[in-house]
Amino acid sequence: MKKFDVIIIGGGHNGLVAACVLSKKGNKVLVIEKNEKLGGLANYSEYLSNISQEVLKELNITVEKNTSDNFVSALSEDLNHTVLQINGSKNVQFLQTSASDSDQKSFINLINKYDLFARTLRSFMFKKPPRVKSGSRSDIWQLFTMGFKVRLLGKKNMRELLRVIGLNIADDLEDNIESDCLKGLISNEAVIGTNLGARSPGSILNLLYNQATNNSLFRINKFNTNSFLKSIEDICKKNNVEIQTDKKVEKINISNQSVNSVLLNTGEQIETSAIISNSDPKTTYLELVGASNLDTDFIRRTNNYRSRGTVAKVNIEFKNDIKIKNLESKYLSGKFVYAPNIKYIEHAFNANKYNKLTSNPCLEFYINKNKISANVYFIPYLKKPSHNKEQILKNVKLILDKFIEENQILSSLIETPNDIESKYNISGGHWSHGDMEIDQLLMMRPFYGSSQYSTPINGLYLCSAGTHPGGGITGINGVNAAKQLLKDKGNG
Amino acid sequence: MDNTLSFTKPLLETPFHKRTFEACYNNDWYRWAGYKIAREYSNTELEYTSMRNTAGVLDITPMHKYDIKGKDAIKFVDKLVTRDVTQIKPNQVMYIIWCNEDGNVIDDGTVFCFDTNHLRIFCAERNLNWFSDTAIGFDAEVNDVSDSIAALAFQGPLSCKILHLLNVKNIEQLKPFFFDSFDLNGSNVTISRTGFSGDLGYEIWCNPQDAINVWDSLFKFNRDYKVLPAGMNALEMVRIEAGFIQPNADFMSAEQALRPNRMRTPFELGMGWLVDLNKNYFTGKKSLINLKNKSLTKKLVGLDIQGDKPAIGSVLYDKNKKEIGIVTAGMWSPSLKSNIAFGYVDKDHMKIGSKVFAEIYHPEELEYKKIWAECLVVKKQFFNPPRRHKVPADI
Repeated sequence: MKKFDVIIIGGGHNGLVAACVLSKKGNKVLVIEKNEKLGGLANYSEYLSNISQEVLKELNITVEKNTSDNFVSALSEDLNHTVLQINGSKNVQFLQTSASDSDQKSFINLINKYDLFARTLRSFMFKKPPRVKSGSRSDIWQLFTMGFKVRLLGKKNMRELLRVIGLNIADDLEDNIESDCLKGLISNEAVIGTNLGARSPGSILNLLYNQATNNSLFRINKFNTNSFLKSIEDICKKNNVEIQTDKKVEKINISNQSVNSVLLNTGEQIETSAIISNSDPKTTYLELVGASNLDTDFIRRTNNYRSRGTVAKVNIEFKNDIKIKNLESKYLSGKFVYAPNIKYIEHAFNANKYNKLTSNPCLEFYINKNKISANVYFIPYLKKPSHNKEQILKNVKLILDKFIEENQILSSLIETPNDIESKYNISGGHWSHGDMEIDQLLMMRPFYGSSQYSTPINGLYLCSAGTHPGGGITGINGVNAAKQLLKDKGNG
Repeated sequence: MDNTLSFTKPLLETPFHKRTFEACYNNDWYRWAGYKIAREYSNTELEYTSMRNTAGVLDITPMHKYDIKGKDAIKFVDKLVTRDVTQIKPNQVMYIIWCNEDGNVIDDGTVFCFDTNHLRIFCAERNLNWFSDTAIGFDAEVNDVSDSIAALAFQGPLSCKILHLLNVKNIEQLKPFFFDSFDLNGSNVTISRTGFSGDLGYEIWCNPQDAINVWDSLFKFNRDYKVLPAGMNALEMVRIEAGFIQPNADFMSAEQALRPNRMRTPFELGMGWLVDLNKNYFTGKKSLINLKNKSLTKKLVGLDIQGDKPAIGSVLYDKNKKEIGIVTAGMWSPSLKSNIAFGYVDKDHMKIGSKVFAEIYHPEELEYKKIWAECLVVKKQFFNPPRRHKVPADI
């Protein structure tokens, strides 16, 4: 039987980053990936908006950047589209809009406010989250600096942050701006990928949190995904990390509450003393570890962890190059958002609450010549997968027909949350391996008893998006988990 | 129309209610899991005496009963409880406790093994939620069957004799902590040699429609052997003598306690003998391994108290009048002719033979008499006659 120092379950970007960090310290690492292609969910986007500086520094890599201009277009049914140019997190310009001048000003002010708050959050985003009652000096110091950073905002801003952090995005938008289109544009960023509607409490927190991890409110394209994945794969190769693809881990064998080996679907058993699971917390605990090795309270929390996905990926290929009505072709490289107003989003969300398919979904898409790659929400995760995909496509097409000059669909590919679940083995098919809500963040991510990347099982660690700081492709989960493992092993 | 939601009929009646209602002169009812159970039929001491000298009949229908069915039924119970139940045989009963992840006791009960795919747990508190969550990942289905089984406890030195006279075949051969099916005066019943009295005794489980027949049969020989129905007050007396503790009386169930420091571990309750740390993983094992190596800060012990005034609710002190604990249950024991109690004491006084003091407030004709009584720390099990374990049992 082969033996490795560390086995990493799942070759998603976090797993690969963890493999890089561990192999650099001289550990013999094996990565096991279910699919043929490495990268996991990162494969869904061509570009990334933020890779943590710490990851770039730790791994000493440079990632190819996207140099073209970043446009965001909010589609409007009267064809008076709003187009924004985003240069950096704060610098937002209106290129065309139907909103009034005063509205534009309020919009920019609002963005600046959110940016200020997000920057405060970002200062503790990429660190290991502190534990509240551990009594360890570093945890107390970190809690103190978190409070201090918030206090540094000044009296007025701190009050404002504490006022809005639990609020819903619709209230704050309605207080500040008039234009439905602009409200929809920001609401889109606050609710996409979550189980929140524009009027759900906590949607502002989600917006700020996303803004903090992605370094931009509109999740603009900054880094080339393939270049990032390639560079971490190269490091893995250089450091002799063994990567086995097309193999699925069926079970983590545990003896005496410590990991012992993994069992693959091929029947192979591989011995190890440490495992990092890049699989989501629910799959890791309920399927790989198994309920019989965990306390009932812990199983209860695992089971109650909310991880129902809400976004479907829809790729459509048209016959001819796509043109948007009443929009200059130079803006086609940007992101398009169809979330016309708050009520529309709220209605789409309502259907999802009751596990129904909405006939009026919200869209966020990119155009590449004759291809559209869209995120469609809210498409509920269903316990028994029974999505009517034709209906989804029909609904999406009805919306696109309003904006796209006549064209013919050649082919389409729809991946519902259920498809994502089975393809990547993510329970619920959730983008971020679990809702990013206040009770599932920071030291409470994924849940009590499993924070700080460690688990109740000795030698088992988590590095997926189900750990702090959550989703968004940053790679920091992998680095933090690997560091925690090294610290526990005594060679950090 | 019979309005079951009416305020005049808030509590459920057990299948024995027709009889218990007739017998309950005092009309003194106790609320147990939504059912009406007699607290005292006519005289608590008399009921107690019948249980200790002939036999007493207790309606224990409200007890919670959970059926566990499936391939992993035994594995599931093994994960739930602190004892190793993997070796349980059909017709065997085991006394069990279960803990939460911090090693604090949630409840105690008994598990009956019908066969390897079918077990049943009996307990005093509601546990369906906890059991269902424990069953996640096991091929075992948990069902609450509380309402479909009527139950009587038949406890006392003559209990076996009376069952024998009722032609219950080979009842004397039934070993303690075993059960079997029997024919009792034409009704098919399950009888287990278990109970809460610490004496020879049986528990009889039957269909609700057979309830009245079973009840009447037990009183058939009353001309010679005065069998009495016993209420909850009498049960409280026998269970203290027997050394049995009760959740939410002697300790707070970990699922119900609001204050974290009010929960108790098996070691603090003197139930360390029920914890097997070498068995497969069970809920709380990790914490219990840690707790085992730590010294206890408090422990529930038995107390033999000077005088004859029961120390109910008393505070316990050391010889320097420093507060060290509290009494959770106390009584004057007519059988043992001594003043006994359960109480928590601190780490310096948990050894058998230690001396502590109880401050007893005894009401005497509208005035409290304050008594400073010396107590000896003893084993909790005050009453344990050899006939309880004898096979064949006395007929």
